Amino acid sequence: MSNMKSRSLLVAIAMAFTSPLFAGDDPVHERHELMEGVGDAAKPIGQMLKGERDFDAGVVMASFETFDDASAKFGGLFPPGSETGEGTEAAPAIWEDRDGFEQALATWADAVDAAIAAQPQTLEATKPVAGEIFKACKGCHDSYRIKDE
Amino acid sequence: MPGSRILRALVALIAVAFTAGWWLTRPLTIAPEDLPAHEPDSLAGERIFWAGGCASCHASPVDGKRAKGDDKLLLGGGLELDTPYGVFRVPNISSHPEDGIGTWALVDFVNAMQRGVSPDGLHYYPSFPYTSYARMPVADVMDLKAFLDSLPPVAGRVAPHSLGFPWSVRRGIGAWKRKYLDVAPIAPDGSSELVERGRQLVEGAGHCGECHTPRDRFGGLLRDRWLAGAQNPEGKGRVPNITPGGKNISGWSAADIAYYLESGFTPEFDTVGGSMVAVQENLSKLSGEDREAIAAYLKALPALE
Repeated sequence: MSNMKSRSLLVAIAMAFTSPLFAGDDPVHERHELMEGVGDAAKPIGQMLKGERDFDAGVVMASFETFDDASAKFGGLFPPGSETGEGTEAAPAIWEDRDGFEQALATWADAVDAAIAAQPQTLEATKPVAGEIFKACKGCHDSYRIKDE
Repeated sequence: MPGSRILRALVALIAVAFTAGWWLTRPLTIAPEDLPAHEPDSLAGERIFWAGGCASCHASPVDGKRAKGDDKLLLGGGLELDTPYGVFRVPNISSHPEDGIGTWALVDFVNAMQRGVSPDGLHYYPSFPYTSYARMPVADVMDLKAFLDSLPPVAGRVAPHSLGFPWSVRRGIGAWKRKYLDVAPIAPDGSSELVERGRQLVEGAGHCGECHTPRDRFGGLLRDRWLAGAQNPEGKGRVPNITPGGKNISGWSAADIAYYLESGFTPEFDTVGGSMVAVQENLSKLSGEDREAIAAYLKALPALE
């Protein structure tokens, strides 16, 4: 291997680990899509809680799994340099108060873990565990999301 | 001499104009004997307190952020509202005898809330939304006073507003009130008891129109655009149209609206945002029936695009 080649390989590896590209090609888009998926998964649970849809333990658990997957990935989608763009609703507070943001995400992940562990089989059993998850959604949005309308 | 006659006529004319202006801008108040026979009820007043969101402006900020939990009951004021007219500073309305409103008579409180007049006869600026509170049942205002009396006194006087001329002339608000202080209901008569209950909450204590209705160039609400959405008074973006004709919530059922006000979640399971977060938190403390009434009222509104 020529010196030249090995150098460019090193550069490529270094770039892959340091640039925002490491978080995916487009973190703003990715995190948006991820949150849309979370909203879609939350909807059927909400409809069951509102009495608009019959209770289905399988659907509830599938939604919890979606939350679990999303909560594991979400925190990594806010690399430096992704503060703006594509109509992002991410608040500057995410970068200014990273610890608080991570804490809010941990609250969400913990609530999801507890819900999965509970394996609720009735609407009554779903209410409290889903309630904790929704409270975490709201808590994080209140501080770390900007919504104009 | 003709010259002095003209001068005398001019002086007389100015005096008449001044007197008329003074008369037109005078504070109009409710007399103590006009208050209804009603025993103020603190528990009923707590409902009005949350419906009105008093804490959202009057609770003293904690470390520069809006108060949460029980701190919402410490009404020492101090929040600053930065507006195109200048900076309004929200006063202390705690039960403190010197710094708050602890020594106010009931009629003083009613006049502040429903006529925008202070106990010493000065006009309040409409940043304090008495134009909405004027539509509340008087008994509700009396109940609210009883609830405020039950909250802890908070020491500390808030500095006066810093406004530019001509906004700094308080007397001028009298003329503004002649045009914009109107106690008549806004939307067409409620067809049901539930809608009527919703009207009292939305048009009165809830003062929803203050943000959701656009204003004319003098800051008065455009009644023919009632709740049809407006420029966000606190920054970027727009405050949504909440009539059945707007794109924002026209697809929501009454149950969706009530659930949103209770939980903070839209039918798509997005969460409430912006200034509405604090409003929703307050409305979550009302009874389910009150939230259903608000939803029923909104659904009964004329659809505006």
